[in-house]
Amino acid sequence: MRAVVSAVVLWAGAVLAASTPVPVSQQAPLAPAGGQAIFVAQCAFCHGRDATGGAGGPDLTDSALVSKDVNGDLIGAVVRGGRPEKGMPPFALSDADLKAVVAYIHDRKKAADDSPGRRRKVSAEDISTGNADAGKRYFEGAGGCTKCHSATKDLLGIASKYRGLALMQRMLYPTPQNAVAPGEGERPRPSPVKVTVTPASGQTITGTLAHQDEFTIALRDASGWYHSWPTANVKYTVEDPAKAHADQLPKYTDDDIHNLVAYLQTLK
Amino acid sequence: MTTFTTLSRISKRLSSVLAPFAIATCVLAQGLDPASLLRPSPDSWPTYHGDYSGRRHSALTQITPDNVKQLGLAWAFQTGRADQIKASPIVVDGVLYITTPDRIWAIDARSGRQIWQYAYPENKGFHIGHRGAAVYHDLVYLTTPDAHLVALNARDGKLKWNVEIADSKKGYWSTNAPLLVRNHLLVGVSGDFDNLPGLLTSFDPDTGAVQWKFYTTGEPGKTKPGDAMGGQMWMTGTYDPDLNLFYVGTGNPTPVLNGNARPGNNLYTVSIIALNPDTGKLAWAFQATPHDTHDWDAAEVPVLVDGTFRGAPAKMLMQASRNGYFFVLDRTNGKNLLSKPFGPVNWSKGLDDKGQPIPNPDKEPHRDGRLVAPNEGGLTNYRSPSVDPDAGLFIVSAADSYGIYFFKPEYGDYGWAGADYGVYGKAFLKAIDYQSGEIRWMHDLSGSSAGAGVLTTATGVLFTGDAAGNAIALRTKDGSTLWHASIGNVGTPPVTYMLDGRQYVVIGGGGGLFAFALP
Repeated sequence: MRAVVSAVVLWAGAVLAASTPVPVSQQAPLAPAGGQAIFVAQCAFCHGRDATGGAGGPDLTDSALVSKDVNGDLIGAVVRGGRPEKGMPPFALSDADLKAVVAYIHDRKKAADDSPGRRRKVSAEDISTGNADAGKRYFEGAGGCTKCHSATKDLLGIASKYRGLALMQRMLYPTPQNAVAPGEGERPRPSPVKVTVTPASGQTITGTLAHQDEFTIALRDASGWYHSWPTANVKYTVEDPAKAHADQLPKYTDDDIHNLVAYLQTLK
Repeated sequence: MTTFTTLSRISKRLSSVLAPFAIATCVLAQGLDPASLLRPSPDSWPTYHGDYSGRRHSALTQITPDNVKQLGLAWAFQTGRADQIKASPIVVDGVLYITTPDRIWAIDARSGRQIWQYAYPENKGFHIGHRGAAVYHDLVYLTTPDAHLVALNARDGKLKWNVEIADSKKGYWSTNAPLLVRNHLLVGVSGDFDNLPGLLTSFDPDTGAVQWKFYTTGEPGKTKPGDAMGGQMWMTGTYDPDLNLFYVGTGNPTPVLNGNARPGNNLYTVSIIALNPDTGKLAWAFQATPHDTHDWDAAEVPVLVDGTFRGAPAKMLMQASRNGYFFVLDRTNGKNLLSKPFGPVNWSKGLDDKGQPIPNPDKEPHRDGRLVAPNEGGLTNYRSPSVDPDAGLFIVSAADSYGIYFFKPEYGDYGWAGADYGVYGKAFLKAIDYQSGEIRWMHDLSGSSAGAGVLTTATGVLFTGDAAGNAIALRTKDGSTLWHASIGNVGTPPVTYMLDGRQYVVIGGGGGLFAFALP
């Protein structure tokens, strides 16, 4: 049953993440409303709207510091002082705002604790067990990564773009699902899959893959227009750069994976 | 093939001539006699798998490899709701029953017109999907998200009775299509996020009274700390009337990804079990994964096939299991005849002397993650396979896949107790030669994982759905494509039945049901 469950849970998560803050009037009486607004505005980018982790920031509902915190005695220092070594800046919140944010974090922690059977989170520290030197050797040797990638070109700064689990997932198999969502005003990244279609009569068209199944091939051309053809009527080639990642999956040992992650984490 | 077509055309004309007379004499012959399930009539699909064997292999011959490309839409039915249809249609007396969570529709199997619908009251149960209804005399049964069993009047959908199967407040729900065996209605439940005993209940189909309960991991109160829980029987089982044995697959143990909390094999989770349907007593069990830590239930359909196995007559039971192994068992005693992976499997160290895979501890979930094939969704899952005994093939919708699994003691020992993420999947329809376990052919299903079951027919045509929203028909012997129709996300196992001399194939796409037939 869980195959389907996971999809539902992920979907529900996506809906929550995408939703705008609930108006104060609609909230349950105990929810610290002001805290939520401040949290969403100032903390959610890194820690997620519901404090369960976001782009680079840890899950606060699963944090040892939060569990030991009493009325902000520990959280307060972190918020106001920041954690520069981990990339967290200091936040100059008023006493009232800080109190509200602390209440919101505890409220989210309680909500998470009240559903103890649910899936858990993975932190960046958990997966950092590899040896970066061994990872570099694998990258340049047995892994065959340098056939497509370069540590000084396309992968330069990859560790700043993706961290922890996201980096590991993307390294194993890059998909639209584990890509970083486009920022506000930013266009979605086009599919990296390149297609060349040659209709029986007519000239060859290239573009990025829009759809492919047994019966239909479709692409977006350079100006963004969608075109489709019955596969039976055309010749086409699909160049999927991610295929090498799929081909590598049966070849990895778990040590290879952790070493490679450790190496990629050095490419800041 | 021409002969079949000609014959069917003649019979079509004959039946249309005879139909008025037939109606006059059949007015009282309504409802489902349990004895008819032993030999279902060609105008019906009276139970989840169509018959007790689970083969989903139809004897109907009007649609052939030569004419299947002429299939067109006979009718379409829209539920008008957002839920994807994941249920098998049930067809009895020209009425087709289809379900989604909290809902059942009775529709005219000839025209797709709604006869009635029933909506269960709003509830807080888990609304994940629904597998289908069951019918007995003039009653239709629906299991519910809050783990109740309701019986409806088949004439008008009015509620007859409503009983609790299990306590939904503890975390149980039900998506199950019950199986009727004589006067036993066998009903399973689900429950994934809590440490709950696996439960199968036999109800009196007339009254809803409980006849017996089977607990996968032992009766509540008689277990000790460190015992596994779980092993839910959420899929519909199969039945051998000669042996009087009911076969069903059990789900994963809980806590799900924390195996340390439940040492040992965790019997009878992730097992194929044989029960006496009159008493609920266990006859035998075969464990597909001893001590599972990857959520791979063995709930997939245990398909019953008679024939020879490597030259000797055999009463076989076959399962393509979520853990990636294809098993053939002797269903008289549960002895293993064949265990072989049908796709990438990297978690096993081989087989024990019972033919059961031996898990590799290095591939258990770990703090820094372990790359495991298949992923949590498994090499296959709920989608029903089909067996064509003439071709000697077991045909299953598979997903070659990888996932990463995490566990650390901080995750605790309750419910999921871990984290896992899918990495990659590629969907194929696979035809397994069940004498050898070799893959005879594979058909690319255009995506990472397809949701449809499989139907084979006596003329060597099979129907299923791909991952891109196409219903497809293939030649059973080689997997070549014969026909397709884009109908949306296909989540049902296709069914077929013959009415008024016309063979219908019904497949769900999204929230719609589509019936195809020859012109």
